[in-house]
Amino acid sequence: MRLFFLSIIAAFSAVPAAANPVALTNDVFVERVSTDADGKRKVVLEEPKVVIPGDRLLFVLNYRNASARAAERFVVTNPMPSAVQFAEQADDMALVSIDGGKSWGQLAQLRVPDGNGGDRPAQTADVTHIRWAFNQPIPAGASGKLMFRGVVK
Amino acid sequence: MAVSPLPRIQRPGRTLAVVLLSSAATLMAAQPAFAAGTRAGTTIANTATASFDNGAGTQNVSSNTVNLKVDELLNVTVASNNPADVATTPGATGQVLSYTVTNTGNGVESFRITGVGNVGGDNYDPTITSIVIDNGNNIYEPGVDTVYVPGTNDPNLNPDASVTIFVISTTPGSVSDGNRGIVQLVAAANTGTGTPGTSFAGQGEGGGDAVVGATGATGQDRGAFVVSTAAVALAKAATIVDTLGGAEPIPGATITYTITATVTGSGSVTGLTINDPIPANTTFVPGSITLGGVAQTDAADGDAGRFASGAVTVALGTVTGGNVRTVTFRVTIN
Repeated sequence: MRLFFLSIIAAFSAVPAAANPVALTNDVFVERVSTDADGKRKVVLEEPKVVIPGDRLLFVLNYRNASARAAERFVVTNPMPSAVQFAEQADDMALVSIDGGKSWGQLAQLRVPDGNGGDRPAQTADVTHIRWAFNQPIPAGASGKLMFRGVVK
Repeated sequence: MAVSPLPRIQRPGRTLAVVLLSSAATLMAAQPAFAAGTRAGTTIANTATASFDNGAGTQNVSSNTVNLKVDELLNVTVASNNPADVATTPGATGQVLSYTVTNTGNGVESFRITGVGNVGGDNYDPTITSIVIDNGNNIYEPGVDTVYVPGTNDPNLNPDASVTIFVISTTPGSVSDGNRGIVQLVAAANTGTGTPGTSFAGQGEGGGDAVVGATGATGQDRGAFVVSTAAVALAKAATIVDTLGGAEPIPGATITYTITATVTGSGSVTGLTINDPIPANTTFVPGSITLGGVAQTDAADGDAGRFASGAVTVALGTVTGGNVRTVTFRVTIN
């Protein structure tokens, strides 16, 4: 599922300079839906300190290759916090795991043992990790953003 | 992984409003079903890692960790345990309706219980005499279960935990057959109620806020009584056959009496007995009693009819509304 993402996020998602050759930062926003006076639905992204069950969270990972050399075999992995159920990924490049990071695939291709000798299609609730494995090196100085959504269980 | 987290950027008070149109449906899709949800006070910690090779072999870095605390969500449901109306009778006391109160929030919470007898939409108002907290067996036991005193023993429930509440009522004496009387039970979170999203700062379990959930932190459901009574109408008819082949009430003529008991109403009558002393100057014909066309003996024995002390008695027992019982017997004129 390809999501509609908001260019305005980029305005504040600065990546700090760091000693590491590659910097990775992590922001979590909660999406609060409201309806304005014209009846249009608004989604307000807030940087929360507290959440409640059912809240939809937007996880934003910013990376930047701060070194002078290209970063090859670049892989970003985010284990799902135990109290968060995976909801959807922002791009087709992300792969998910339903077995604690042992194997990876598109969610639609993964199957889960049903306990009766068979299996069933994996569901978002089965996802334990999400991962992005880049085919191309990240050039020196390049940066990017990765996103996925989850729901507070 | 021995990598220290990167410093966190401080971006205080940042809020971003965006109008989403076509994608709004996607954003709202597939909300999973929660029972109570993650326990209030839990910290959700998210950290990502990256691995790469920039010529010096594979290296790993970790992101900063974002910690989110889960607030307490205030939710409660009430469900009647009497899907069908409970039968009552005019003036009856100790009439019981049962309800289940469930904490569907994610923190331990106490609930104020209220019984309402005058909700309308019915024919009469049951008079609530007490509210009783079940001891766990879902059976109302007067003197064993605890009488509820608001503010004193408000049920304190863990997430997903339930308690059975009994509402004890008296049925007014003025009601009539078929009348319904509704009793509503209301449970409200003691921390607070209101429109969903209302927040009570610092009052959540685990030190966070308490936030009113989709139920408004209040729940209610209704149970109902239905008045079930029955009435008996007796009719008596006589036919005469005289010894001359006519129908004159002359000495020696036989009178056949037919007594019809008609029971009406939605309830039933118990212990219904027909007792009919035979007229003066007549003689009972032995063995002449019938009930529903079936001959009865005169002795006080296993069947319903008997003749003793100059009277015919037929014990009909419990008869429900809509039934008719027919008794016949014969006498001869002296």
